[in-house]
Amino acid sequence: MESQFYVVTWWDVLVALVFIALTYGIMRYWKIGLEKTLLVGTVRTFLQLTLMGYLLSYIFNQESWYFMVGLLTLMILVASFEGYRRQKLPIPHYFLILVGSLGITVLIVLGTILKFILAVEPWYYPFVMIPIAGMIIGNGLNSMTLTANRFIGELKHREGEVETLLSLGAPVRAAVHGSLVSAIRAALIPNINNLMTVGLVQLPGMMSGQILAGIDPLIAVRYQIIIMYMWITTAVLTDVISLTFIYRQFFTSRDQLRLKILRQAEG
Amino acid sequence: MEQTSVFELRQVNRNEAGREILTNASLTIGAGEFVALLGPSGAGKTTILRLFNALDSPDSGEIRFRGERLDQVPVRDLRQKVGMVFQTPAILEGSVRENLLVFQRWQKDFTISDEEIHQILIQVGLENTRPDQAARSLSGGEKQRLALARTLMNEPEVLLLDEPTSNLDPVMAHQILRQIKTLQEEMGFTVIMVSHNHELAARYADRFVILLQGQIAADGPLSVLKTAHSPAVQTFLNGGGE
Repeated sequence: MESQFYVVTWWDVLVALVFIALTYGIMRYWKIGLEKTLLVGTVRTFLQLTLMGYLLSYIFNQESWYFMVGLLTLMILVASFEGYRRQKLPIPHYFLILVGSLGITVLIVLGTILKFILAVEPWYYPFVMIPIAGMIIGNGLNSMTLTANRFIGELKHREGEVETLLSLGAPVRAAVHGSLVSAIRAALIPNINNLMTVGLVQLPGMMSGQILAGIDPLIAVRYQIIIMYMWITTAVLTDVISLTFIYRQFFTSRDQLRLKILRQAEG
Repeated sequence: MEQTSVFELRQVNRNEAGREILTNASLTIGAGEFVALLGPSGAGKTTILRLFNALDSPDSGEIRFRGERLDQVPVRDLRQKVGMVFQTPAILEGSVRENLLVFQRWQKDFTISDEEIHQILIQVGLENTRPDQAARSLSGGEKQRLALARTLMNEPEVLLLDEPTSNLDPVMAHQILRQIKTLQEEMGFTVIMVSHNHELAARYADRFVILLQGQIAADGPLSVLKTAHSPAVQTFLNGGGE
């Protein structure tokens, strides 16, 4: 069968409100008490995504590389700020560490994809660059914040071990090695599990979207494979880069564990 | 003969969480001494050990190691020369051998033969312990000895002991202190031991420093301290070691 691309009209969207009507009806009947929230959510989904559509249309019409680089920088700053604000970890310079780690990772991973894998022309072609950058930044941020949190937990748990190793003359890097490895392992396991199960349980969202948009499934699959490989690299890079800067924040220049900062962390 | 000093505290102060832990502490410790730091809990005994091992720094005042300012001595060299055994020793996952070979994690060329490991285990009274035994399965006293053996691997000039016998029964406590005393005589290092039990310490140490509320309240041989006039010191010494 020939693949076909079905254009969705605003009328189609209106008809899709039948789902909301059905949900609303069920909620009313069962007296679930979320009816008002459902209506607010319905309107917000409509407004936010429509706005995003116009924004993307505007962005995709831009033709200068510096606009794209500026946008990329903004995405990294916003994501880092969100991660910084959400977690409130007592790590000195945490925001800068997030920005730096995401920046370096985006440079390496996005650069490889644009230049060598997809060989996009021009390299800042927004239809490829922006969605892929979004995936790298989103996944990188998740992985980093998870790792940072876990690292602090490990450090607290192994405080005695770390100080014992330091007291024997170990450099800081060797004293925290166990904590670093545990934190990175914990953050990578979900990503590795993803590599194992992708395609078995459910189709990844991006691939489903491409197929719906009429793209040959074999092409969509190839895209997805690249994304999966990119994902694990993104996680490992952001984790390693951020932890390299984070662990040192917990020690003085005389290689002393800064117990005061460590104790500020919850848990 | 004039004794060379290993450690010297000059007017040292240290605060933690807004509380004064050490106040104007001045103290000189000579090479080869066996010094017991006594005092009730919270008096600042452990803090002094942590300062000597450079795990903490003083807020003011000066510490000298062999005449040199402590903050000028490269910290990793200092920690190798000044070994510390913690009150609750951190025993690493893995075997007894792996605990003794922990130095390989940062000194790639660090090696030690099975025979040497055997000798070290005998030295600390672990002759019946197999090197491949899981270290975390050892008893409290055995863990304490293993931690001691691990610290001795650096052949330190000074050995800092933080309540080395607090988790042990009296028989075991005497055994381990006797062993430390013998090792000191063989290897010639200086011992600085924190204890809250002065009767136990009296059998091994030759000098006693009593800390009360962050201040050095008395310093000298126990026989002299027992006749000292300070009522606070007398109260502490008569308090049955607590």
